[in-house]
Amino acid sequence: MSEDRGERRPRPRGGRRPRRKVCTFCVDKIEFIDYKDINRLRRFTNERGKILPRRMSGNCAKHQRQLSEAIKRARAIALMPYTVD
Amino acid sequence: MMNRYEMIYIVDTGLEEAARKELIEKVSALIANNGGEIEKVDETWGKRRLAYAIDYKTEGWYVLVTFKAPAELPRELERNLQINENVLRYLVVKLVEKRSSVKPRASRPAPLGAPAEIAAPVEEAAPAVEAAPAVEAPAEAAPAVEAAPAADAE
Repeated sequence: MSEDRGERRPRPRGGRRPRRKVCTFCVDKIEFIDYKDINRLRRFTNERGKILPRRMSGNCAKHQRQLSEAIKRARAIALMPYTVD
Repeated sequence: MMNRYEMIYIVDTGLEEAARKELIEKVSALIANNGGEIEKVDETWGKRRLAYAIDYKTEGWYVLVTFKAPAELPRELERNLQINENVLRYLVVKLVEKRSSVKPRASRPAPLGAPAEIAAPVEEAAPAVEAAPAVEAPAEAAPAVEAAPAADAE
């Protein structure tokens, strides 16, 4: 169906479409993100200690909210850095 | 109305062991004397490197306490921890009941020389890659279990 009307939604030409990322927390069926689970949290910060945006991490909105809360808690008690450089 | 709380606080490592024990005891007593009910005092993390210096200190002694308490207690508790200068940081969090599916916290007693926070860049690009094997692993394990009884039947 959408094939005939290809011109409506032009595909990004000459580049492969980035695969839609799946929320790793949904995959692992995690209901609550613990601020003490630093190893997991650390995967969602960049080398400067900043929280990765959803477009990078691929998290769903629900888990991204929980994640940012957890990271901020971890920062407050010096389990994770606010900044690194 | 009793709520479940989790408190984590950092004791100055400059404090001797006896003094530290006394401090932890004091905090526990404070909870108990104000209508709280201690469930667990966990010191498995113990001495740990701080992610950033607090008052020029680079390490601290982590104490994790879970307790039941009326809603007014955390405020009183925080007031006391604030006053105590041997407590570098504290955090009182209400426990969410649906945390059942969380894997129990990493209870390994964090080796002293673990400045893993600084070593993070290596892991940085990893999330997507690491996620995939985790999903595949159980899937592979399951058929193997099923296969065994089938072989017996024949």
